[in-house]
Amino acid sequence: MKIQKKTFTAEIFTGSMADISFLLIIYFMVTMAFSANRGMDFALPEENQKVTEIKQEDAVDILVQPGGVIQVDGKPMPLEGLLPYVKSKLLQNPEKPVILRTDPNATYGNMITVFDELRQAPEKVGIEIKTISIPTRREIENIWSMLGVA
Amino acid sequence: MAFMRGRARRVEAQIFTASMADIVFLLIIFFILTYKVEVDKTKMELPKTVLREKIPEKAAVISVSPTWAEPPLVVRVSTGEEMALPVTTDEEIVTFASNVVAQDPAKAFIVKADREVPYERVDTVLDALKQAKVKVIYLLSEQKTVDD
Repeated sequence: MKIQKKTFTAEIFTGSMADISFLLIIYFMVTMAFSANRGMDFALPEENQKVTEIKQEDAVDILVQPGGVIQVDGKPMPLEGLLPYVKSKLLQNPEKPVILRTDPNATYGNMITVFDELRQAPEKVGIEIKTISIPTRREIENIWSMLGVA
Repeated sequence: MAFMRGRARRVEAQIFTASMADIVFLLIIFFILTYKVEVDKTKMELPKTVLREKIPEKAAVISVSPTWAEPPLVVRVSTGEEMALPVTTDEEIVTFASNVVAQDPAKAFIVKADREVPYERVDTVLDALKQAKVKVIYLLSEQKTVDD
């Protein structure tokens, strides 16, 4: 009697591949973050660039106060009036810098709102502000001490 | 013509799963390509702006935790390649930023702070970055919409 030989076909077991793949998908989905990757940029003066001291009276001075209230050149002003005012000043002198100071008790959001408004000058009033300076409190104090203001 | 009575052919119900692996691998490839490790996971409400510039990859991050976070107003720093770590003094921010700038003078820095954080805290961070001669700073923000 002839005995039939049992034949085995070579195969790779792929049944668990889907499980592994799903595990990987879940890992990537859980750890993935569609993080915010956009923001407002501002370049600081280069080391070798000539840094000129800007006097408060030679510039448009904006002070952001708590609650988002702004004072421009010492006068209170609504946010909507800021760009037309800056435009009128820049038409006289296009190089005129804008100093953006913020009260330490105002919020970061208050300052960003005004900074965003200033950056929108080309679109809103058709004029480019060449220099927007955001001095820190230490820099302001240094300038005051240099000018002899207590 | 007489029908031959044969046994009915039984067809087993089945779901075709052979293409599932292809779909799954496609999804994996998508996730691998778009995968980004968030170096700072501090939850906060970012300020909203109309103008938003794209931030370069692997920029260093300095975050200020919100006033409602526990602990509040903590500054965390990251080179953009590892997880953010808290710093305790303002001098540490200057030291950190100076080291990063020494390795890569063109490195961009992201300032990530909650919109309700007192400006005084952000001012300290900006001052530290200026002292460290950082060239470009990005103030992280969300898109402002007509509803805001």
